[in-house]
Amino acid sequence: MRVAIAEDAVLLREGLSRLLGEEGFDVVGQCGNADELLLKVRSYPLDVVIVDIRLPPTYSDEGLRAALEIRKRHPAVGVLVLSQYVEVGLAMKLLADSAEGVGYLLKDRISDVEDFLSALRRIAGGGSVVDPIIVSTLLSRRRSDDPLERLTPREREVLVLMAEGSSNQGIADRLVITVRAVEKYVSSIFGKLGLPSTGTESRRVLAVLAFLRA
Amino acid sequence: MAASALAANAPLRPARAPPKAYWVGIAAAGLVAPVYSVTLALRVGQVSEVQLGLLEWISVPYILVGLIAWFRRPDSRLGLLMIAGGFAMGLSTLQFEHQNHLYTIGALFDIVPAALFLHVFLAFPDGRLSSRLERALVGAAYASAIGLQLAKLTLGAGSPDNLLTISTQTGAAGVVEKVQLLSLSAILLAGVGILTNRQRHGGRPRRPSIALLIDSFALGLLLAATLFVVANFDALSPAFLPVQRVTLVVIGLSPLVFLIGLLDARLARSAVGELMVELRPNLAPADLRDALARALRDPSATLAYWLPAFQRYVDLEGRPVEVPDRDGRATTLIDRDGVHVAALLHDGALDEERDLLDGVTAAAGIALENARLQAELQARLEELRGSRARVIAEGQKERQRLERNLHDGAQQRLIALSLELSLLEQRLTTDPEAQARLDLARQEIALSLEELRDVARGIHPAVLSGHGLEVALESIVAQAPLPVRLRIELDGRLQEPLEVAAYYVVSESLANIGKHAQATAATVEVGRKRKQIVVEVVDNGIGGADTESGTGLRGLADRVESLGGRLLIWTPTGGGTRVRAEIPCA
Repeated sequence: MRVAIAEDAVLLREGLSRLLGEEGFDVVGQCGNADELLLKVRSYPLDVVIVDIRLPPTYSDEGLRAALEIRKRHPAVGVLVLSQYVEVGLAMKLLADSAEGVGYLLKDRISDVEDFLSALRRIAGGGSVVDPIIVSTLLSRRRSDDPLERLTPREREVLVLMAEGSSNQGIADRLVITVRAVEKYVSSIFGKLGLPSTGTESRRVLAVLAFLRA
Repeated sequence: MAASALAANAPLRPARAPPKAYWVGIAAAGLVAPVYSVTLALRVGQVSEVQLGLLEWISVPYILVGLIAWFRRPDSRLGLLMIAGGFAMGLSTLQFEHQNHLYTIGALFDIVPAALFLHVFLAFPDGRLSSRLERALVGAAYASAIGLQLAKLTLGAGSPDNLLTISTQTGAAGVVEKVQLLSLSAILLAGVGILTNRQRHGGRPRRPSIALLIDSFALGLLLAATLFVVANFDALSPAFLPVQRVTLVVIGLSPLVFLIGLLDARLARSAVGELMVELRPNLAPADLRDALARALRDPSATLAYWLPAFQRYVDLEGRPVEVPDRDGRATTLIDRDGVHVAALLHDGALDEERDLLDGVTAAAGIALENARLQAELQARLEELRGSRARVIAEGQKERQRLERNLHDGAQQRLIALSLELSLLEQRLTTDPEAQARLDLARQEIALSLEELRDVARGIHPAVLSGHGLEVALESIVAQAPLPVRLRIELDGRLQEPLEVAAYYVVSESLANIGKHAQATAATVEVGRKRKQIVVEVVDNGIGGADTESGTGLRGLADRVESLGGRLLIWTPTGGGTRVRAEIPCA
């Protein structure tokens, strides 16, 4: 799997590159700014890029803009945005059009190597990854007449995993239940929240996030 | 209260009016002249009455108006110069006499009036020649009018009655006369140049009567120059007489226009009375300038208030004003009880009406002092506002720097360290105990990172600088302790200080609502209304919020006010609380 990394903190970039190399990823390029990343995306066939949201020269939104640009021009390339803070508003910007092949994670997640690598593979394969903090923030959001209160604790767990981008198989593995059981929970949740069923798993992520955000 | 001119032409001790014997004598002599002329004309017979009349048309008004000017401004030489001009003109009529001595005096004074009028015109309004060029020009005019005339007469020019003739050299006398007439003509034209140049640089006087006067000066000089040129080429030409008469008429007009100007000033002076009526005790300081401008008949008049504490002049809004201390002609300093209060900036022509300026500034007394106090208050407010804005802006910059340092330093290192530990952990497959301890260490790091993130966010919300108000507010609203409806209607990013202020208005208000309001819902609205950004946070809680104690709301107000905006709070008991910030935005 071919990866490019844009991260201005050298220590972290080297560590990440070493980790991916050891895990059998092909780190095609690593760079410290958005322009170089865009150049690499144009030059090499890539499966996924990892981009720090805060990049030089102004350290404001260069990383996010690069990510959106890659999503627009190279939809086949998965994009994982890393940040030292995660924001609901940014997640929504990143997922505005589709949740396919995109992820947004807190930088700290890198050190949970197994989870991190599986997230990266999921993104490269067209799936979605949303940081748990985003989902928990949205879930804890106060609502008048909260429809989430109608969910059972198990359904709530499934909802969280759905929102974080897990597939039915992923949810089944995580909760140690069958895929069929997951499918039953999902349709029950959609019924209780009044959401139309959406088909693909990445569309499901968007629908659930949009519901939680409203 | 006393008004004093800034310029050097302000006398330390005003000169006194001319003694009675002088002015009575001068006036009597001035009036004798026409009587004498008429008898002369009757006696001699061959002098045209028109010619004599025209000469008197100049000499009598110059003497009388010169007397008036001398009375008005004893310290100015202008009045005396005018009187001298009038008498020189009168003396020149003696050349029509047949008596030797009288004729010689008249012939000697033939050209002198031209030099004197040039002197008067250039010395207007204060009786002084202001530049070396002007002094040289007037000096040359006198040299030509008196010196060359004397030379001409010693060479036997004029009639045989000339007592000054030493030897009759008609040819030489003719040459001297040519030089004299042409040089005078050139000098007078240079005088016209100086007058027009003054208008070009100093601007045309705003008082119509003064502008008219200057025009009559220039026209008179121009005509006199023409006259001399015509006389030089052919004094017997049919053109000579009409040119001479028109010249005399125009030169004689000047004292009349001068009188009109004085009359105009008298009318203006009656405005002081109207000003007194206008200056009711409760006159708004903003209206004071208009009232003064009306009284002075100078729409360009402005006031600059002196602030000793700042050592500078300011306008009513407390903004610094430049008071030109070189161009004193248009500046009158106003003192009150020996303390400098303000400067009145006005048309230069008003310097001629010192008593009007004195009257107006004296009448403005209390109102001026009030206005100065207001200007001082505004200046202090302005200063305070500026320093508060600087303190807040500096604080903000410092916070941003701290957050950046945390982000680039400690946070990045901890993440890299955590990654390093987990790579190590993967290699230690044979030592489960070491793996467990490394895992524990990673969890500690994760906790530290979380705490650091909170600290960093508290110092400065980086998402705000990076991604703008909309994204930053979305997170605050999502984490609010009650349901919040958020509506943002902005086209793009705002200036950073504005975004930061709006952010803190919302976050602080939502925190207050969570702590005190017992509300079940709130709305946050941010939008652009005309040239303002309006941020409004409304809850449905118990109201009656304490707006005095605690630093939260005060700090918010400081932020908003430092950007020239205002923070409004409605919090009726039982009626919810509405916090509204209005911040100007270009």
